[in-house]
Amino acid sequence: MTASGHALTTEHSPVAGLAHDTRGGISNPILGMLLFITSEVMFFAGLFGAYFTVRASTNPWPPGPEQVGEGMAEKFNLHADPYLAALLTVVLVTSSFTCQLAIWAIRKNDRRGLVRGIAVTLILGILFLIGQAYDYSQLGFGLTDGTFGTTFFTLTGFHGAHVLGGTIMLSVILYRAMAGQFSARHHDAVEATSIYWHFVDVVWIALFSTLYIL
Amino acid sequence: MFRTTPTRLASVLALTVVALMASGCASMIPGLYPPTPVTAQGHDIGNLYDIVFLIAAAIFFVVEGFIIYAVIRYRRRPTDTELPPQIHGNNLVEIIWTVIPTVIVAYLFVVSWQTLNTVEATSQNPQVHVVAIARRFSWSFEYLGPDGKSLVNGPDGKAVELPGTMVVPAGQTVRLSLHSPDVIHAFYVPQFLFKRDVVPGHENTFDFTVDATDAGQTFRGQCAELCGVGHQGMSFEVQAKTPAEFDTWLQQQITQAKAVPSPPPSGKAPSGSPGASPSAPPAAVSLDLTAKNVAFDKTSLEAPANQPFDIKFTNDDQGTQHNVDIHKDSPTGQVVFDGEVITGPDTRLYQVTPLPAGTYAFVCKVHPTTMIGTLTVK
Amino acid sequence: MATTALHPAVPAYRSGLYEWITTTDHKKIGILYVVNSLLFFFIAGLLALGVRAELAQPKVQFFAPDVYNQLFTMHGTVMIFLFIIPILAGFANYVVPLQIGAPDMALPRINALSFWMLPLGGILMFTGFATGGAAAEGWTGYSPLAQRAYSGTGTDLWDVGLVLIGTSSILGAVNFLTTIFKMRAPGLTMFRLPILVWTVLVTSVLVLMATPVFTSALIMLFIDRNYGGHFFDPATGGNAILWQNVFWFYSHPAVYVMVLPAMGMVSEILPVFSRKPLFGYKAFVFATAGIGALGFSVWAHHMFTTGAVFLPFFSLMTFLIAVPTGVKMFNWIATLFRGQLIFATPMLFALGFLTMFLIGGINGAFSAAVPVDFALHDTYWVVAHLHYVLFGGSVFGMFAGLYYWFPKMTGRLLNEALGKLHFVLMFIGFNLTFFPMHMLGLAGMPRRVADYSANAGWSDLNLLASIGGFTIAASMLPFLWNVMLSLRNGEIAGDDPWEANTLEWATTSPPPPYNFDHLPEIRSERPLFDLRHAGAAHSALPAKYAETHS
Ligand code: HEA
Ligand code: HEA
Ligand code: CUA
Ligand SMILES: [Cu+2]
Repeated sequence: MTASGHALTTEHSPVAGLAHDTRGGISNPILGMLLFITSEVMFFAGLFGAYFTVRASTNPWPPGPEQVGEGMAEKFNLHADPYLAALLTVVLVTSSFTCQLAIWAIRKNDRRGLVRGIAVTLILGILFLIGQAYDYSQLGFGLTDGTFGTTFFTLTGFHGAHVLGGTIMLSVILYRAMAGQFSARHHDAVEATSIYWHFVDVVWIALFSTLYIL
Repeated sequence: MFRTTPTRLASVLALTVVALMASGCASMIPGLYPPTPVTAQGHDIGNLYDIVFLIAAAIFFVVEGFIIYAVIRYRRRPTDTELPPQIHGNNLVEIIWTVIPTVIVAYLFVVSWQTLNTVEATSQNPQVHVVAIARRFSWSFEYLGPDGKSLVNGPDGKAVELPGTMVVPAGQTVRLSLHSPDVIHAFYVPQFLFKRDVVPGHENTFDFTVDATDAGQTFRGQCAELCGVGHQGMSFEVQAKTPAEFDTWLQQQITQAKAVPSPPPSGKAPSGSPGASPSAPPAAVSLDLTAKNVAFDKTSLEAPANQPFDIKFTNDDQGTQHNVDIHKDSPTGQVVFDGEVITGPDTRLYQVTPLPAGTYAFVCKVHPTTMIGTLTVK
Repeated sequence: MATTALHPAVPAYRSGLYEWITTTDHKKIGILYVVNSLLFFFIAGLLALGVRAELAQPKVQFFAPDVYNQLFTMHGTVMIFLFIIPILAGFANYVVPLQIGAPDMALPRINALSFWMLPLGGILMFTGFATGGAAAEGWTGYSPLAQRAYSGTGTDLWDVGLVLIGTSSILGAVNFLTTIFKMRAPGLTMFRLPILVWTVLVTSVLVLMATPVFTSALIMLFIDRNYGGHFFDPATGGNAILWQNVFWFYSHPAVYVMVLPAMGMVSEILPVFSRKPLFGYKAFVFATAGIGALGFSVWAHHMFTTGAVFLPFFSLMTFLIAVPTGVKMFNWIATLFRGQLIFATPMLFALGFLTMFLIGGINGAFSAAVPVDFALHDTYWVVAHLHYVLFGGSVFGMFAGLYYWFPKMTGRLLNEALGKLHFVLMFIGFNLTFFPMHMLGLAGMPRRVADYSANAGWSDLNLLASIGGFTIAASMLPFLWNVMLSLRNGEIAGDDPWEANTLEWATTSPPPPYNFDHLPEIRSERPLFDLRHAGAAHSALPAKYAETHS
């Protein structure tokens, strides 16, 4: 080999190919998660795009009494009663903070702090899901009720499914944390899960703003 | 392991293609040219096509020429024992071959935008306003007055759709609005060099002017957007008349329509016979025909010659489409009647125009290889 | 080379079925991708032969319109989603880790998952034929035609199958990007990456950004069809154009997903068989990135006739995309200039790519001129365009890659004479099939018709196209025969049969698990060239490849 004269730094290692992931920086799973989330952002962008297209071609929005009748129009008027949704927003945002607390804890090798943070996050996540299920039962309209119902339930439904996915990931993390599998040096799975959880939180903020405020 | 003997195969083949392409444009039998346009807008598009085609052909010959030249000139020879010069690039040529295509496409963009503006231009007061209604799988046309109300109305005052053929005055601006009650279709007349989609829930409108010199001509038109099993047969005709003839024709339609109740939109007249008679005298004979399990219940039918008759067609196949077409002589003969395709379970009363005595075949156009029978007219 | 000291790894690839099903080795997964995709290529090709048989003559002979519509819908869908996209991903899977000196992909288990979703999605889609008809709305699945009212279960299966295949693509893209960013060998800086790796990088970004939008569209369609949603059906307040917008927002970038890796392969092959470096390496990188970026701003050129999009903008962007593509074309040609061209089979296919993709690109530019597209849209002209870019471009490029890397994958060379026969037959058949379609389109023949009028004047050209279609099919026979012969007793390839430039040729053929036990030092984008001509990369050394190193 022409490289034989060099010292065995990484740059000239004869088995460089095996010594992967030595470039430091972000780890493979976390980069993978970030990229995956990019694709998720685009997925929701597609749904939001559909929502805004339908909304732009429906005047007024939400459809008024002339279009869908008095009763339905009242139910569609989410702006009138955004309080439960606002409460859910608070729940989810708080859970993002507790999740971050857990990360900071494990970065300092505080395993107790990790378990505590993840447990609270998980509980808040489940609370959110229960709250949303309750909200669904109170809305009085469904997926089939016009474009309004279709877009509302598709957007919030897919977000809900992502929260559910997040809580499952959190449960696994909690289980592994209690089994003591994470340390300051080894906790990629926790970092990845928390990034995902923040993403789910951000999507909800966007949803809440468009559906209830905008 | 290399075959160092040069292979000229690639170059010879590439040359063949060039020859093929060249002969295509020279002889113009179908050729690389659109049909001669027959509308003012079509002429603009044709002119734009000329420009695009010329530039494209130039680029094609130059670039293919370089490839073929390189292939022949720089093939490895037995004497090539040294490496060729290891050239990594040259910024100047990169700039040149970025800028030149940019200039070309900028020019093409500008001329096509200009043409677009003339093609899309709409007149303040078009002489005629037609609404084309595209439904699976037939076309019909309504004529509107200046007030936007239908001119051709039945005794009940409802608008009458004239099936199959659109009649327009040559040399005058026609406004066409496109309407679909079901799926997306597209209004396409090859000789207009133009098409426009017929989108449900979104009305498209455009103007066109058939050349005055083309009065008396008929142009073939066809649905150009896949719309289901009958898509390939969803054709229509555009008939250009002189303005005077057109006025007479329109007047005739108006009086005729008032006289008789409009028929239910069932079978459309076969293309070729203009939709001049939206009305048929009530038929004396009615035949029953049922489709079940992708088969007709009868393999032969009889009908009287030279008088209209009805076919009461029942489709018993849940979710499956069937219809009845009548072909002359054999199942692949000329279509003389084209019934609307219906999705089962459903029933239609097809009104068949008089047929001369002879042997015909009735065929479901959705299942033309299996659902066949003979119709004897005497 | 030092690597030849490893015992030939050929036997490792004869291992059992179980090994293949459970493998997470990127090389085996790559081969699985390629074989699976070729299988679907033949199936979709047979469907195309059905189309050509039906159209050879006017009148309905073999397939009723309802079956015909299923034929071309499945033909288009399978060719695109189960053949060309995955086979390019398969080559990338095999080659990229080797070219960057990595032992495997960054996320090997996800890699295996990505692959296995493909046959699953494909089988789902094909079960449509057994449930009263496969999808029949064209590969574009326009609503409202694709709504429940007009189509059956086959469309649901098509929809779900595509969601699976799309997810597979997305996971694959995540994997490629992580691998390329994180697993490069020391010394392999971004601007020393082989062009193939660059194209895979840009392709992966396109997949990552575009495919999820398509997934969302498919899910909305599924909701419309099965749960009473109202996204796309105007009859219930939805918007028919919305589907087209989301579909093409994905499917235009997707056409570059279908061609960029093929361009990458050609960019690897032309220099090797011209014995020169690639001309304008950086220009290639920027052009690839430029195509990727512009690719997101042209989608509505498929919707020029809908009367619902802003025409001048999309026209301009569509024209502009010819510029970076042209830069590539000119750099390829400059690579040939003053070289010593060797016409081995991979080179022939690469030249086929250049000559044919050029035609496809130029006839695409016709459609960028909006009024011209008013005439050409939805006619056979577009069918000609899409096959010149997809077949003349991607498929020729793919075969170039197949002949080029086959020795690396199997350790054996393919027979040159049979390879050339394959090329000649395919080249002739291809032009016979698709060139006449330009004329048919101009003459007004719409696409997606099962039948046409005998007096329209289209019969001769259609017959010609059908003869061509069967010629292409015939060209597959020498190819398959070649592969079988070579697998049995082909000439042993050795590490580097082509005197190539990139790292994959520095290890054994086929490479051992984890690929390398030694890597040469990397000082340029041609590490193996540097190795052969140690220290004198820029002078013209005698072409005697001394076996002195190591
Ligand atoms: C590999 C796939 C691929 C690729 C690479 C392309 C590349 C291009 N395509 Fe194509 N396209 C398809 C696949 C692809 N397409 C498919 C599948 C469809 C049909 C979908 C369907 O409806 O089913 C389609 C349809 C399609 C349409 C819609 C037509 C219609 O339905 O009416 C248009 C319209 O603008 C278009 C344009 C272009 C352009 C401008 C390019 C450009 O990228 C081409 C650029 C290349 C060149 C121009 C050649 C090299 C350049 C030079 C030598 C420089 C000098 C040149 C000039 C100055 C012009 N394509
Ligand atoms: C990569 C993409 C790709 C490829 C390679 C092809 C390949 C071919 N295509 Fe294409 N085609 C599309 C993508 C592609 N197609 C798309 C996207 C559409 C649009 C669909 C739509 O409108 O929705 C289309 C539409 C389309 C049409 C238009 C249909 C219509 O509008 O009505 C036609 C018509 O001739 C056609 C023909 C062919 C032919 C003859 C081939 C030939 O190259 C095929 C060659 C044949 C084979 C490869 C078979 C070889 C097999 C054997 C010899 C048997 C061996 C068997 C075993 C070993 C089991 N195709
Ligand atoms: Cu109507 Cu096609
Ligand atoms: Cu496109």
